[in-house]
Amino acid sequence: MGSEMRASGKPFIHHHSAHCETGVTAGLFRDKGLEISEPMIFGIGSGIFFGHLPFVKFVGLPISTYRSRPGEIFRKTARRLEGEFITQRFRNAQKGMEELRRVLKTGQIVGLTTNIYWLSYFPNRFRFQFNGHNIIILHEIENGFRVSDPVLDHPVDCLTEDLERARFAKGPLEPHGFMYYPKSINLHPDLRTACIKGIKDACKAMLKIPLPIFGVRGIRYLAEKTIKSGEKVGFVEACRQLANIVRMQEEVGTGGAGFRYMYAAFLEEAAELFGSSELADLSKEMTAIGDIWREFAVVSARIIKQRDPSENTFAKAGGLMMICAGREEQLFKDLNHVVRKLKA
Amino acid sequence: MKVKEVPQDITYYEGVKRACYALNDAGKYVIVTSTGWSTEEVANGLAVTELALRFEETRKAVLAGVKSPLCYHMERRQMNLKILASTTGIATFRVKRHCHPEIFSKLKPSILDRYAKALAVTPEELKTVPKSSKEGK
Repeated sequence: MGSEMRASGKPFIHHHSAHCETGVTAGLFRDKGLEISEPMIFGIGSGIFFGHLPFVKFVGLPISTYRSRPGEIFRKTARRLEGEFITQRFRNAQKGMEELRRVLKTGQIVGLTTNIYWLSYFPNRFRFQFNGHNIIILHEIENGFRVSDPVLDHPVDCLTEDLERARFAKGPLEPHGFMYYPKSINLHPDLRTACIKGIKDACKAMLKIPLPIFGVRGIRYLAEKTIKSGEKVGFVEACRQLANIVRMQEEVGTGGAGFRYMYAAFLEEAAELFGSSELADLSKEMTAIGDIWREFAVVSARIIKQRDPSENTFAKAGGLMMICAGREEQLFKDLNHVVRKLKA
Repeated sequence: MKVKEVPQDITYYEGVKRACYALNDAGKYVIVTSTGWSTEEVANGLAVTELALRFEETRKAVLAGVKSPLCYHMERRQMNLKILASTTGIATFRVKRHCHPEIFSKLKPSILDRYAKALAVTPEELKTVPKSSKEGK
């Protein structure tokens, strides 16, 4: 946490967040005077999800995702909290940068979608071609911009040319210089209705999508695939795939256990809001599920390092994932039941 | 995960800390900063070593005259043919051809400039690769 000035002289308070998109969204809301936490944004925007896309390859490995599509959380939260946002995309990079400067001069902070590879303030190991990283720009400085990146614990500087490359990078999910900032925000939104909508939506995504690669069925599918992978594709390739799952779960700014802890934090906050002991219990269950996901990561690491090969097998890792699937299914069914009893 | 269990294993984030959600003694969620987790390091390490290995192979292939330096610089920026093609506005099949050294050496300066700009290197740099594996990362 730290205070930072901007063009108009009004201070901006930087909060360290687990995830970029929720962090930026919360930052923009807070800046307008609505105190809201990151998990709350995550829950209202129905960020929790699971999907395994065997046909979408990233460096030759299939993508597993623990959250909804990039951009979705922001859109849904803005709608459910009745915040009116101005969003812009650009064909021309020059125009995109000019517009950014113009808005910053008015004292407004701006959210941007960028490619993480070109943001040179990150350590090398974090940098890869991914066009879905969100940051807040505070104001312009000499040859660059002051950036509040929610996944870092303090604001940083970014060179103009780096930022331009990052905003107009090509490849999957091209950002096209996407920028967004609030026009007006309802300072007394109906949080209860927003939470109910967010929870219902999340339950639907986890339980009701009729494809076997999304939601709880997606977890089962991936678990089965993992159990068989050792024999099917060979040890080395199976390790690569397993490592990729663990990376998606732990590394890409998830707050631990593939967003499961963050969702538990949301359920805890919602339980206080509604005074519901059932939600509090579900929050504890979510934490327990998160712990199993962590255990899965530990077992996976042991498989890769070949510690006790007889003990740590692909079947064990897949089995843990299968337990997660079963418990998450039960949790979201219960949640779906509980949410219908809540009064807005 | 409890606050005490938040991993503080490694420091490969180069001083950067990341936020984790964990339960405090009262059973409430708080944000705790973590310096990194050894488990994640294993998974990440596998990917990083693989990339580095491929990158090194490409460098040797360029020095041996099998691939063009363009290929090396493309991999250095973690791009593939498709991304490089759309960044430069040059068709993918042409980019692929330019990965052959004999075709690359005959390229016009205007094309080289487009590649140099897309890869954030100078046109001179684009024509060379480091002689040893340590340089140029």
